[in-house]
Amino acid sequence: MSVIKLDGLEVRLGGRIVLDGLAGEMRGKAIGLLGPNGAGKSTLINTLLGFHFPTRGSAHVFDMDTRRQRALIRQSVGYMPENDSFIGSMTGVRFVRYMAELAGLPAREALERAHEALFYVGLGEVRYRKINTYSLGMKQLIKLAQALAHGPRLLILDEPTNGLDPMARQRMIQTLQQIRKEGSIHLLISSHLLADIDQTCDEVLILKNGRIAALCNIEEERRSHRNFIELESAGPADEFCNSLRGLGCECASFADGRIKLVMPGGIESRDLYVIADQTGMQIRRMHRRRDSLEDIFMRAMEGEPERRELVRL
Amino acid sequence: MSVYKHEYRAYTGALTPLWSRVVVVVRYAIAEAWSSRITVALFILSMLPVVVYLVGIYLANNSLARAIIMRRDNGFEIGAGFFLNLLATQCWIALGISAWIAPRLVSFDLADNALPILLSHPISRFGYVMGKLIALLACLSPVTWIPCLLLFAYQGYSSAHPWFMANLRIAGGLLVGSLLWIAFLSILGLAISAWVKWRVVATGAIFAVVFVPAGIGGIITGVLRTRWGFLLNAPVMMTQLWQRLLGAPEMMRDQLHLPTVAILIVLTLVCGICVLMLNARIRGREVVRG
Repeated sequence: MSVIKLDGLEVRLGGRIVLDGLAGEMRGKAIGLLGPNGAGKSTLINTLLGFHFPTRGSAHVFDMDTRRQRALIRQSVGYMPENDSFIGSMTGVRFVRYMAELAGLPAREALERAHEALFYVGLGEVRYRKINTYSLGMKQLIKLAQALAHGPRLLILDEPTNGLDPMARQRMIQTLQQIRKEGSIHLLISSHLLADIDQTCDEVLILKNGRIAALCNIEEERRSHRNFIELESAGPADEFCNSLRGLGCECASFADGRIKLVMPGGIESRDLYVIADQTGMQIRRMHRRRDSLEDIFMRAMEGEPERRELVRL
Repeated sequence: MSVYKHEYRAYTGALTPLWSRVVVVVRYAIAEAWSSRITVALFILSMLPVVVYLVGIYLANNSLARAIIMRRDNGFEIGAGFFLNLLATQCWIALGISAWIAPRLVSFDLADNALPILLSHPISRFGYVMGKLIALLACLSPVTWIPCLLLFAYQGYSSAHPWFMANLRIAGGLLVGSLLWIAFLSILGLAISAWVKWRVVATGAIFAVVFVPAGIGGIITGVLRTRWGFLLNAPVMMTQLWQRLLGAPEMMRDQLHLPTVAILIVLTLVCGICVLMLNARIRGREVVRG
């Protein structure tokens, strides 16, 4: 079953197209939502929650239509908004209990789960304090606690590390990794911070100007480029390259001795040393490059040509 | 999730039906309203007139007590006029209580931007507003129609002749008049509280919305020599409506009487505006135009 399915989704707000024909299916355990400001990330989240209606197309969460089955979707979703959102005059435990009861838990279970959720996110000691006395980091955590308390199937987190100091940020990321590892909850994390998505997600949806710029599995994307190698060499590089081309490698050499190559399957790194030895070239440095999320993001943002096009063959 | 193991566990128990989420809002709203000592003090104060009227009914029906306390036996009659005064007193006290409670119910949610989280749960905007409205009605009922009907029942019990059945219209008038007024106050209070962020200002604004137009209406009536100015005057308008509901004698000159239909149209219009105000304000997300 897909977690989120978008079918030509178009959303207009104030007469302006904010989401333009989004189509795709996300099945990952943790889905990252990336994009510059105004790309439509928050609008997509609000549409999934049923706050905005699609003007064309449709969006489904766990095969439930966001227009017709709003209540059922909200039942299955825990939402942590980007900005402050709580009732400051309530104590932490009362607020989380209130939200759990609204999500459908009976009062007794809601109270029990509220205590547990607060301990889980690390607010156990301050659960009887009023929320408006909490620090910024605590306020982020109370939003996470209320999103978790009713045991949702999908946790939607809008900028979860916003305003957190490095320690609190690391703790939040560890908590998200733990939730992902536990396995019963899917995560949809919207963030400006690529590192956060990189550490927590296995699938990424990149939006640009209301359109999908990239939708990919991060691990698969990395694997597909795992044979890209950069060398720093001394000696007859052209001869080395010619030999590699004979083995089916795509290879480009540069004046400063740098060589970039994409190896086909079946050729290992040690083969390069053998060929270098045969051609009298020294390999001074070898760098097996893995695509970072930043590379994926930058390519999506700038419409960067494929790497092969950058390499002089 | 366990307190001791600190591990997440999914919830697998039973869920409450969707309609009961409104009851959750009602429960928390009532608790919020009564968490203030001022609410308790206002409620106790609102019972003082009831006690006075209760003593009045007792004296009216007990000539011996009347002779001892008032030192003369000039009996007074309990009728529509008596209950009209009781209704008017309690209803104006209800205005004060609603001006205090309504901002507590809505402003706290809006001040800390709680609506995105609240409405991301399986409760609609209508359900949320309905929950707050029911909570406010529940808080105002013990001040208005409940004591009024209890005193009516006591008068029926104390009266020697078959007073109860002969005056059932008063009971109906007390119930309908109270419900109309507290429903009007509740929706007005919620609408104003949704737009005014500061509680104290919202409390003042609720009083202002009732009494400032009354002044303007008085000026219009005086300058233009027309009765229609009273349509802006809630005290006059409601007093006329209550008089007719209870069958009490009208105190104003005939030329100043407002048609009941006109009064009901004004009340409906104001409620309609309040619904629009709530619709614009109670949202999970702001939509920036343009």
